Amino acid sequence: MSMIRLMFYVMSFIAIASALYAALSKNLVRSIFVFFVTLFALAGLYVLALADFVAVTQVVIYVGGILVLILFAFMLSRRETLNVIQQRKSTFINMAKVPALILAALFLVVLVNVILKADADNLPWIKEAIAQKNVITPTSSTIDNIGVNLMTTYLLPFEAISILLLMALVGAAHLSRKEGSA
Amino acid sequence: MNYYITYFIAAIGLFSFSAIFALFGVYAERKISAFIQDRLGPTETGKYGTLQTFADILKMLQKELIVPAAADKWLFMLAPAVIFIAVYLGFAALPWAPGLIPSKTNIGLYYIFAIISIETLGILMAGWGSNNKYSILGAMRSAAQIISYEIPAGFAIISVVMIAQTLDLQVISNQQGILAAEKIKFAGFWDVTNIGGLLSWNIFRAPHLLIAFVIYFIASLAESNRAPFDIPEAESELVAGFHTEFTGIRFALVFLAEYSMMFLVSMIAVILFLGAWNTPLPNIGSVKLATWTTGIAWGIFWVVLKTLGLVAVQMWIRWTLPRLRVDQLMNLCWKVLTPLAFACMLISGVWRLWLM
Repeated sequence: MSMIRLMFYVMSFIAIASALYAALSKNLVRSIFVFFVTLFALAGLYVLALADFVAVTQVVIYVGGILVLILFAFMLSRRETLNVIQQRKSTFINMAKVPALILAALFLVVLVNVILKADADNLPWIKEAIAQKNVITPTSSTIDNIGVNLMTTYLLPFEAISILLLMALVGAAHLSRKEGSA
Repeated sequence: MNYYITYFIAAIGLFSFSAIFALFGVYAERKISAFIQDRLGPTETGKYGTLQTFADILKMLQKELIVPAAADKWLFMLAPAVIFIAVYLGFAALPWAPGLIPSKTNIGLYYIFAIISIETLGILMAGWGSNNKYSILGAMRSAAQIISYEIPAGFAIISVVMIAQTLDLQVISNQQGILAAEKIKFAGFWDVTNIGGLLSWNIFRAPHLLIAFVIYFIASLAESNRAPFDIPEAESELVAGFHTEFTGIRFALVFLAEYSMMFLVSMIAVILFLGAWNTPLPNIGSVKLATWTTGIAWGIFWVVLKTLGLVAVQMWIRWTLPRLRVDQLMNLCWKVLTPLAFACMLISGVWRLWLM
C-alpha cells in the first residue's frame, strides 16, 4: 500500500510543480511542453485511481489532440510576436492582473470549501458500495461497464455531444471552403 | 521485491532488443535498397558489410553534441529522448507468446494507440527547438500527417476490436489460434476452432479485415514517417526535416526511434490481423502441425518472423514507390482510406451480429 501512496505523492508533486511552471513561465512554447508533463502526471493519478480508461483517453485527447493543436497555432505565428510577450515587463501586482487575481482567489475559496465539506471518507454511497462489495478491483475490466453505461443511462448526453461535434465539423468544413465555390 | 526485478529485466530486455533491431534494421535497409537499385550496398566492413552499422554507431557515439546557438536548449536536448521514449513505452503492452507479455492490461491496444501519439509532440519539440525553417516545416508536416493518418488507422483498429470484443492484446492473440476459448469460424461459416493455423487468423475470420489490414498498413507507414509518406524529411526540399540539427548520439536516438516505430507498428498489425504468435500451420487430421508448433519459444519465433516480414515489406515499398506530394497524401487519407475504414467498421458490426 505504501508504494501506491508514494506514487500518489510523486505524481501529485509533478502535476502541481509543472502546472505552476506552465502558468508562471514567460516562454509560451516551453510552458505548453511543460503542460504536457502536467497532463501525463494527471493520467498517472487516474491510473492510481483504477480509472485506466480515463487515463489513456486523457493522453489521446489532450496530448494527441489539443496540445498539438495549440502548438500548431504557435508555429504558424511569428517568433517575434512571441518574443514581445516574453519581453514585456511586469511587476507582481499590477492593475491588469486584478481581475485574474480575484477570479483565482474566489476559485480557491470554492475549492477549499468543497474539499473540507465533502468529507470524502464518510460519504454514504461509498460506504454502501464497500458494504455490498460493488467495487472495482485492479484486474477488473472497466471498458464493458463504460460501454454499457454510455449506451443506456447516459445515452442522451452521449448523443447530444455527438451532434455538437458533428456541427463543429460541418462548420469547420464550411469555413475552410474556397470563396469561389461556396 | 522479485516482482520489481522482473520488471527491470523486462524493460532492459526490450530496450536492448529495440537497439539490436535498429542495428540490423539499418543494415537490412541498406542491403535491400542496394538490391532494388542493383548496387552492392556495404561490403567492406566485416563479412558482407555486416559490421558497417556497428562502425556507424561507434562513430556517432564519439561525435560532438552540437547545440545551435539560437536553439531553445532544453527543448532541443529533450526532443530525441521524448521521441524515443514514446515509441519504447509502446513495447510494454505487446504480447510475445502465450502467457508472455511484459504488462498485461485490459486496454493494451488503446494504450499503444495513445502512446504513439506522443511521438508527434517530440517531433514538434525537435522542430521548434532547433529554431530552423527546415526543421519547423518538417515537424509541422510530420504532425499534420500523423494526426490525419491516425483516423483511418484508428477505424481499422476499431473494426478488429468489434470482431474481437476486447482491447486486451493477449486475448486478441489467443482468439486467433488453437488456444481460443470461444468458437472460431473461418469466413463466418466453417468451424476451425480445433484446426487453427492460418485459417483462424483475423483476416480470414472476417474477410473484410483484409481491407482493414491494408488500410492500417498504409496508415502505419505514414505514422512512422516512411516513404512514400516521408515528406517530413524530404531530402530534396527540407535537408533532413525535423532532425536536421541533431548530431551524434541524439541523431542516433531519432533513428533508433524510427526503426523501433517500424517494428512496433508492424507487430501491432501482426497481432491484430495476422494471428499474433499463432502458427500459420493448421492441424490436418492426425497431423497436428498447429499443436506441435505452439508454445512459448514457437510463439516468439512466429511473431518475430511475421513482424520482420512486414518490416521487409515496408522497406521494399520505401525503395519502390516515389514520395507523395502533400495534397495527394491528404487526398489519399481523407477521400480514400477514411471512407473505406468507415465501411470496414460498419461491416464489422453487421458481421458480429449476424455471422458470429
